[in-house]
Amino acid sequence: MDNYIDQLPSFIEAIASIKETIITNIVLMGQVPSPTFKEKKRGQVFLDRLAELQVDECTTDGYRNPIGVIRGTSGTQPPIFVVAHLDTFFGTDIDHNFKIDKNLITGPGITDNSVGVGVLVSLPEIFRLLNLRFESDIVIAGVIQSIGKGNLRGIRHLIKTWSTPIRGAVCIEGAELGRLSYYSDGMIRCEVHCNISTIDGWEQKFRPNAILVLNEIINRIMELRLPQRPRCRVIIGKVSGGFKHGVIPYDGILGFEIQGVSDKMVKSVYKDIKDLVAGISHEFEVDLDLRTIGNLSAARLKYNHPLVKSAFAVMEKLELKPISSPSESELSIFLAKKIPAVTLGITHGEDYHHPYAHIEIEPIFTGITQIIGVLMAIDRGACDEE
Amino acid sequence: MKNSWLINNTFHYSDFTDIQRLIAIKKKKNLTISLCLPTLNEEKTIAKEIIIMKSELMTRNPLLDEIVVIDSGSTDNTVEVAKAFGADVYDADEILPNFEKFKGKGENLWKSLFVTKGDIIVYLDADIKNIHHRFAYGLVGPLLLNDNIKYAKAFYDRPIAIGKNKIRPTGGGRVTELVIRPLFSLFFPDLTQIIQPLSGEYAGYREIFDKIPFPIGYGIETSMILDICEKWGLDVIAQVDLERRVHRNQNTKALGKMSFVILKTFLNRIKKLEFIDLKKDTFDEMIQYNLVKNEFQPDIFNVDGLERPPMIEISEYRKKFKIKK
Repeated sequence: MDNYIDQLPSFIEAIASIKETIITNIVLMGQVPSPTFKEKKRGQVFLDRLAELQVDECTTDGYRNPIGVIRGTSGTQPPIFVVAHLDTFFGTDIDHNFKIDKNLITGPGITDNSVGVGVLVSLPEIFRLLNLRFESDIVIAGVIQSIGKGNLRGIRHLIKTWSTPIRGAVCIEGAELGRLSYYSDGMIRCEVHCNISTIDGWEQKFRPNAILVLNEIINRIMELRLPQRPRCRVIIGKVSGGFKHGVIPYDGILGFEIQGVSDKMVKSVYKDIKDLVAGISHEFEVDLDLRTIGNLSAARLKYNHPLVKSAFAVMEKLELKPISSPSESELSIFLAKKIPAVTLGITHGEDYHHPYAHIEIEPIFTGITQIIGVLMAIDRGACDEE
Repeated sequence: MKNSWLINNTFHYSDFTDIQRLIAIKKKKNLTISLCLPTLNEEKTIAKEIIIMKSELMTRNPLLDEIVVIDSGSTDNTVEVAKAFGADVYDADEILPNFEKFKGKGENLWKSLFVTKGDIIVYLDADIKNIHHRFAYGLVGPLLLNDNIKYAKAFYDRPIAIGKNKIRPTGGGRVTELVIRPLFSLFFPDLTQIIQPLSGEYAGYREIFDKIPFPIGYGIETSMILDICEKWGLDVIAQVDLERRVHRNQNTKALGKMSFVILKTFLNRIKKLEFIDLKKDTFDEMIQYNLVKNEFQPDIFNVDGLERPPMIEISEYRKKFKIKK
């Protein structure tokens, strides 16, 4: 490998010189509402921007993931993927117009993941600016149906139907800069729907309370003895239900995830929860429907994998402190397919999932530089080891 | 009324998405283009407007030659933010300092003629939440591609921002429908073809702007249309569909004040054109009432209808731009 790492610090200033274009891309992407399953408009803007930036090939795959391909010099090396998910947690009725201050961009979905998408479409311009050519084709993909009930369908389809081997991949997330994910936990994402019939003759005052039923399920889950090894946990993430303060709710939804380093253990905990939900359904005489809305297999790169080592070296050169944590995102799909990949964060942000989420502008340029550094490492063979 | 103007002079911004073609024509005609943003406490939106215009229409595609902000004395961070992102920022009071100082959008636009360099000037309000570079190239397009068109005005669908980060799909344009359109229908039916005469986004040749007077406040959009029409005819005007503009909602009282100013400007114009003969001068005060502790208290808004003369009549301007009298 050559001394590409030594070049990296000088890239930061060069990238900052086109900050207006990078911020414009972040804003133009992020201001198009893109809730999961409704990413079509953002996908079109994504493709339009890539076409304006004269990317060699701009198209969508059979699942409508928008893709741009920057042709490499070798013609024989497998492609390198750079991906960011296009969907956000916010609906179309939310005002998506961002506010920009001297060093902040504020708006719904900016952190997760409009800044990632904006940076992704800026890459062709940045490569041109830095006069960078890669041996491999660089595939720039905005993937749809990623979060929540999307269950990473976009990336699953993209990789499943890609006709050639894939050399390696970088997944971009808005925050936090310094994040370096190279493993993902096994996961089962579930919802329990509680429905209490309104036509079975119950007087309202004796009707079971859907929220209290869900509360009982939460209590029983909390009573489960979860192992420290292999590590496993249940995250109660969402509860919804009810109409108004004085009316007994007759429906409700509980959303949770079982996460763990062992797929076997995750499945075992799932089975326990399935049994306890069935038991409560019987005891309370209510309809409880346990639905699996997403799942992932545990997968990882070793700490001493050349890609991980290269990513650490790149971050160290840029004076970033790598923080490793599991990622239940596009990364897990790459790793499950034995494609070396890492997830990197772009900048610092706060209030990720609020309408007033904000990110810092200045660190973005370092965040982009680390992505370029890792792409250069992959292009120089960091993922080529058998 | 013939509606041929509506058919021939109405465009869609997508007619002008080939920005390279616009740049080539601009070069061929040896023209320069300035973007002017009049501001008063616009810190929430100004940076975004400057960044997007600079990136898309200066750095990547050199259609604009300068971005100028004319500020009326903002007390928030508007000036600081605009400077940080590279706009040329002027305090309106410091332009032509020997003249009496006034506050108002029209005043800022008038003074911008003195500090901008462009042969074409694009005026955009600085409070556009969904700013996109189409707002500028869409307005410049008809001017560059049609020799007879000297002034282009925007129209759009206008969702209103309401409450906590929510938007209502349609609405706005109340002053247009309740004040301007009835007046145009009564006195200038041809002008009813202009879909949104009060839109704050327009572009035109300097040679047009410097020959018309500028009311210092809200009346500027109305007077501009009436004066351009009177001097050069409706055919020099185009309108461009910019599709969607998200703006702040204004309450009824604020719109009442705006309507008062517009009515006053309109009356002055039709008086001058001898459409009407008022036996008495109109008053300068808009009087609204607020209920305070069970008592109605008047809220008086004073408008004296001041107008700046055509800039071409200002000797400093003629000297700067080497224009012979």
